[in-house]
Amino acid sequence: MIAVSHKDQSGAVFRPALKMVAIIAALFGFALFGQGLWIHAKAQLAQILLERAFSETIATGEPVKPWSWADTWPVARIDLPRLGETAIALHGASGQALAFGPGHVESSAEPGEDGTAVYAAHRDTHFAFLRNIRVNDDIKVTGKDGKTFHYKVVGTEVVRWDHSGIDVKASGKNLVLATCWPFDSATSGPMRYLVNASLVE
Amino acid sequence: MNYLTLNRKHRSMPRWVGRSCRAIGLINILVLPLIALAAALFSALPARAEASAAQQSQLMTLDEVKSGSLLLKSSEPGRYVEATRVATDVDIVVSGPTARARITQIFTNPSNGWVEAVYAYPLPEDSAVHGLKMVVGKRVIVGNIKERQEAKAIYETAKAQGQKASLVEQERPNLFTNSVANIGPHEQVVVQIDFQEPIRLSSDIFSLRVPLVVAPRYNPAPLTQSADISANGIGWGSASDPVPDRDKITAPVLDPRLNAPVNPVSIKVRLQAGFALGEVKSRHHTVKTESLNDQTQVITLADNAHADRDFELTWTPKDSKAPAVGLFREHVGKDDFALAYITPPVIEQEKDIRPREIVFVIDNSGSMGGSSMDQAKASLDYALSRLKSADRFNVIRFDDTMDLLFNDTVSANSENTSKARAFVNNLQASGGTEMLEPLRAALNDPRPAEQSFIRQIVFLTDGAIGNEQQLLDAIAAKRGRSRVFMVGIGSAPNNYLMNRAAELGRGSFTSIGSGEEVNDRMRDLFAKLENPVVTNLVAKFSSGNADMTPATLPDLYRGEPLVIAAKLGAPSGTLTVKGMIGRQPWEMTVPLANAATGEGLSKLWARRKISDAEVESTLGTITTDEANKHILNLALEHGLVTRLTSLVAVDKTPSRDADKPLTRSDVPLNLPAGWDFDKVFGEQTLRKADMESSGVEQIAYSQKPVLVENAPAQLPLPQTATDAELRMLGGLLILLASAGLLLFNRKSGRNAS
Repeated sequence: MIAVSHKDQSGAVFRPALKMVAIIAALFGFALFGQGLWIHAKAQLAQILLERAFSETIATGEPVKPWSWADTWPVARIDLPRLGETAIALHGASGQALAFGPGHVESSAEPGEDGTAVYAAHRDTHFAFLRNIRVNDDIKVTGKDGKTFHYKVVGTEVVRWDHSGIDVKASGKNLVLATCWPFDSATSGPMRYLVNASLVE
Repeated sequence: MNYLTLNRKHRSMPRWVGRSCRAIGLINILVLPLIALAAALFSALPARAEASAAQQSQLMTLDEVKSGSLLLKSSEPGRYVEATRVATDVDIVVSGPTARARITQIFTNPSNGWVEAVYAYPLPEDSAVHGLKMVVGKRVIVGNIKERQEAKAIYETAKAQGQKASLVEQERPNLFTNSVANIGPHEQVVVQIDFQEPIRLSSDIFSLRVPLVVAPRYNPAPLTQSADISANGIGWGSASDPVPDRDKITAPVLDPRLNAPVNPVSIKVRLQAGFALGEVKSRHHTVKTESLNDQTQVITLADNAHADRDFELTWTPKDSKAPAVGLFREHVGKDDFALAYITPPVIEQEKDIRPREIVFVIDNSGSMGGSSMDQAKASLDYALSRLKSADRFNVIRFDDTMDLLFNDTVSANSENTSKARAFVNNLQASGGTEMLEPLRAALNDPRPAEQSFIRQIVFLTDGAIGNEQQLLDAIAAKRGRSRVFMVGIGSAPNNYLMNRAAELGRGSFTSIGSGEEVNDRMRDLFAKLENPVVTNLVAKFSSGNADMTPATLPDLYRGEPLVIAAKLGAPSGTLTVKGMIGRQPWEMTVPLANAATGEGLSKLWARRKISDAEVESTLGTITTDEANKHILNLALEHGLVTRLTSLVAVDKTPSRDADKPLTRSDVPLNLPAGWDFDKVFGEQTLRKADMESSGVEQIAYSQKPVLVENAPAQLPLPQTATDAELRMLGGLLILLASAGLLLFNRKSGRNAS
């Protein structure tokens, strides 16, 4: 008798509390899931605005911010005709820029110039297609002035981020597309996947 | 009220879309991470993602530098970690028209690894940087001027060979960086930078401004965290979850004063005015003043003064009016240099009675938020109240959009001015800063030949923008009969942009740093706007072949002196200045023989010639190549750091035997008064004891300097994985867990009843 009433009392306190915990946890779960979705949505949506701003850049020859409070602006379009993929690259490769598109690493060369132009993007959004790239694939890069340069993929490699072997002043006109590796990992790691290409004159 | 709204060309989305996107973004940035953090209590999964996001915020780019900082290169390209700053001393000697400043600072490499340090510091844009000395650990390094690429190559070579080296470069006209290679673990660096700046004179008040190179940032939380990260020197790894003690660290450091003992600053100005001194005032700081004689005072920063903004000292002559003429001379090599200040007389009766057509442009972008917006509104309100009914005016406000209050300028009757004052009063600070379109709109002059009005543009902004050159080009191309007056708002307006815009627009630059200054400063500005301008100025040295700057003399406003620097063929003859005050011709002749001896005039002359070349290339009167060639010659001859030249120093031959401790005589620097030599250099003696046999080899080989690599520089790659999957996975797991929990709850509830 005493034992039963004890169980009743504790249940009356314990169950609503547990329910609250479950509801709060569910909210967190939703929020977290939403954040994940948001990262992808942002990456997709931004490209539409970037496309528009980049067209205007080509027309006017001046940098155009894709939205007024942006701290970066589109500088190039990268096309992979065989895969039907295209992406607008942004000035700089800060975390903020990479959320919206591939970043043109600041100290690297401009497309079509001597040296190495380096573009980096996330492996799960803009550069997810890099896993399907093959040697001899065509990569087209259109710069701010509207000029398009054709590059041919010469190879791929996996390197550590701090031993990239990329020399931005290397001889020839080179292009590197970089993303994180391995593609399917859930956590970020030190390895990077590089697609090396050189200009087709 | 019916405002004409001009949307920017590419803004084809309605404004509310932008607003709601921004709101979603804000929620995403502020609210969701907090929820995610709380969720981290349930699941350890998202913790890593949060940590790396926090780590990002501790790194900064060069553009984010607001005060002098020692930046350590991080593993992320183009980003730096702020290092601990130790102590700063600013020693200035003002003699007549010039100020010679020497900034000495001691920094510590707090990490256990070898680092390359980048020290970035803002300076007045007209200052001439010409000297660098540095003691890095046991090395004494003196800088030489070289062409920029050459200097860079020398520096890189030394760096690769493990030698200590330093490089001073101009990054922006008012921002310099000093790189130091191969600083050992826990070594201290003493940096000494010499520069000259001209004294300003306006309305009988002389002034000197020193950017405070070690002002603590207003953003306290990242500062605390960056100390955390710099402890391991490489920029990664130590950002263990910073959030648990966020409450603890945020509240106390909200007041930047609490950081003062960590970064002590001392300032000493020896003021030799050259005339009997009247009032000497520090505008923003508490100072102690010692009078040596009636012409000389020594001003020091009071102990409790906190250096969180530029130091500005003003002084006036005892008999209230500044001398109408000041003439100084310096002999360098076989050349003579002269600097002349000539203040035209104020003629009250001959006012230019033409009415004015004024376009006010006010910045209401987000960066103006808070006291800046209030100051701008108060300033513009004051200006509107000063208009006369014969004047015409218009008001343009802008953020990333813009509105013109009226289609064209309208008569300043009471109805229009009260409409404008209401419009200004309702402005709110928000949005981005897009300055080009409103500037063009203001310069757009529908009646370019109209002579019955004086056309003036008053532009109020903090100048927080990146496309400075475009703005300057617009002014140069479209100024016509308009005069552009820049009003800089806030404690750190972009002085380079303001000065240059006013120079190109033949107006003036007024800086308003605090609310109390609004009335005084705007009254000064209006006195300029309303009083006769001295125009058509011509200056001539009788000795003939004098190289004078500025080449074309600006218009002068009430109380402003004409400042001329020149390289003279011979220090004899006269200087004659002619012009029109209102409609009255005016002429003044000064004999050169009686000029007083000044110091650093040649460097100031060269700095201004360099500035002239930049203006000419902006105006298109000379090509960029010609300008570059000219700048390079001047810079090399006078030892100045410019965008084409840098100071470089490499420590090739150690001046001291390995086993001898560093003594005072080894240091060709004058340590500032009050600095304890043993405290400054004691650290090395201790370190030496740890390392048994000390010396160069020891320093070079005991631990591998991180940057000794002979392979071509490798580009570090940014982080390119999002945590989207991680978050979605974690979110799903938590959802599942909570569903299970609910199910269990219901079941146990049913069992109980």
